[in-house]
Amino acid sequence: MSATVTIAIPSKGRLKEEALKRMDAAGYAVEPPRDARTYRAAVASHPHVEVAFLSASEIARELGKGSIDLGVTGEDLVREGLPDSENRVIRLAQLGFGHADVVVAVPEAWFDVDTMADLGLVAADFRHRHERRLRIATKYWRLTQQHFSQTHGIQLYRIIESLGATEGAPAAGQADVIVDITSTGSTLRANHLKVLKDGVILRSQACLFAPVSGDDGSNPAAAELAAALGA
Amino acid sequence: MNALRSFSARADIETILAGLGAERLDVPVLHPADPFLDTAGEELRRRIFMSESETGEALCLRPEFTIPVCLNHLGAGTDGHRRYGYVGTVFRQRRAGGNEFLQAGIEDIGDADGPSADARSLADALSFLDALDAAEGTVTTLGDQAVFNAVVTGLGLPQGWALRLSHAFGDRATLDAALDALAVPPPLPDLPADIREPAEAHDRAALVNALSMRLRIAGLENAGGRDADDIADRLLARFDAAEIAPDAGALATLRKFLDIHASLDKAADALRAFASGNSLDMDDAIAGFAAREAAISAAGVDTAKVTYDAAFGRALDYYTALVYEIATPAGLVLVGGGRYDRLLTMLGAKETVPGVGFSVWLDRIGSSGGKP
Repeated sequence: MSATVTIAIPSKGRLKEEALKRMDAAGYAVEPPRDARTYRAAVASHPHVEVAFLSASEIARELGKGSIDLGVTGEDLVREGLPDSENRVIRLAQLGFGHADVVVAVPEAWFDVDTMADLGLVAADFRHRHERRLRIATKYWRLTQQHFSQTHGIQLYRIIESLGATEGAPAAGQADVIVDITSTGSTLRANHLKVLKDGVILRSQACLFAPVSGDDGSNPAAAELAAALGA
Repeated sequence: MNALRSFSARADIETILAGLGAERLDVPVLHPADPFLDTAGEELRRRIFMSESETGEALCLRPEFTIPVCLNHLGAGTDGHRRYGYVGTVFRQRRAGGNEFLQAGIEDIGDADGPSADARSLADALSFLDALDAAEGTVTTLGDQAVFNAVVTGLGLPQGWALRLSHAFGDRATLDAALDALAVPPPLPDLPADIREPAEAHDRAALVNALSMRLRIAGLENAGGRDADDIADRLLARFDAAEIAPDAGALATLRKFLDIHASLDKAADALRAFASGNSLDMDDAIAGFAAREAAISAAGVDTAKVTYDAAFGRALDYYTALVYEIATPAGLVLVGGGRYDRLLTMLGAKETVPGVGFSVWLDRIGSSGGKP
């Protein structure tokens, strides 16, 4: 059995830079690929470790398939992108960067709505007052459903899929409230939105994950790398 | 493979439906998903099979028959009273086990005589099981959201809470959580002075003005959805609720109501005793309940063998009054039925169209040992 370890790292942006820094600090300095357009890299100090650069959401999917041994990506992408993620991947470490909260935000002018329970009351007679369901703009439909339906027993709403500039959806008349990520809250404030008191669905950050099937200790090299990264 | 799935068994089911006087209706298997998600809520999305047309329309495999039958009724521009019978496969996502289920049932749409339509629906459901030799030993449970709403109204709970309780009815855990929350006075929100002052003074006009200003600043003035009146009403209601001490007695009474179980022939008396014992005016709801009980009895159903459970309902806001369930002694539900007077307007009817219907889970009958 080959002892090769494949670790996936986000292919661009701050997540990539931070992840490479962490690899470096862990004694696994990643050699920059000779051709900047390739998506594979090696680790000189550990020849059996292979680094795959993938998009952050693709890493979630590959973890689900078990086709990589380890992956660094945002927890929000794993919880949203991978059905039944609790049983399919193990979170080995929180890496302390890429912080973003997935939150429920409503217009600031909704002074009568502070909590999910308040929002539930608004949703309950929304149809009666406005002849349609309460609309939630989000790209996180799985997390939204879990938070609204399973955690807070709110059923009467519709999800409007929004793939960008979600915080603008209420003013554009596309949705009434949003579920989106925020790190400082400044974009929400600029759009006159506020986070509900119990509206934080997930405090996400970059994490080291492994597929459930892969993390059975059968690959000591993977365990060693994970430990070096803080697992 | 269940024996009821054979062609000859389906023919038998069609014969039973025809014998009950229902007009045969076929509806498509693939269906726009919006009517289902709009009426049942987004939670359904996890439990149905979604697909998409080339033009981006969200489609799903039908998860049930009631909504397609109602849409068909509306689409045909049919006026007046029709009774539709159907048999076919429905599709539901489950983590384990199969995803296809054979259902048959009757939807009775547009009958202005509610009690008699309710009674016929329940009697038909029992006859249907009987024809399949599966009625023996079954347990029939009946609930009524209209009676629950009458209790909530009679107790004089704040309007927002009445609504929340009414939506939670049928889901005991949600309902208990709502009752627990109601026992704790809601803390008032932190408000800026321009909003707090008119709210405290109960100056609605000034509050609406201040809220309109805020909505304008946020660019939400013409965005549709909630407006200043809407927010003002609920905010004022919150100030009222904060001033009204939660009435522990009213909540205890409501819990006492939810514990009522009686055989249907004695249920109206039990409700009358409950109403007078707690000084509640719910005469209209009880009269409606009693009229239906009389109609059920007249339709040949032994009402001593039907159980009224005050807490039994469906947490879907288009079920308005009667709901019933017929289960095996082990608790396997063979038939679900109920009245959905709000559904057809949700689906686009211009005025209220009454409807009541039931669905039989045919696969469960095969597996529970009935004669297929």
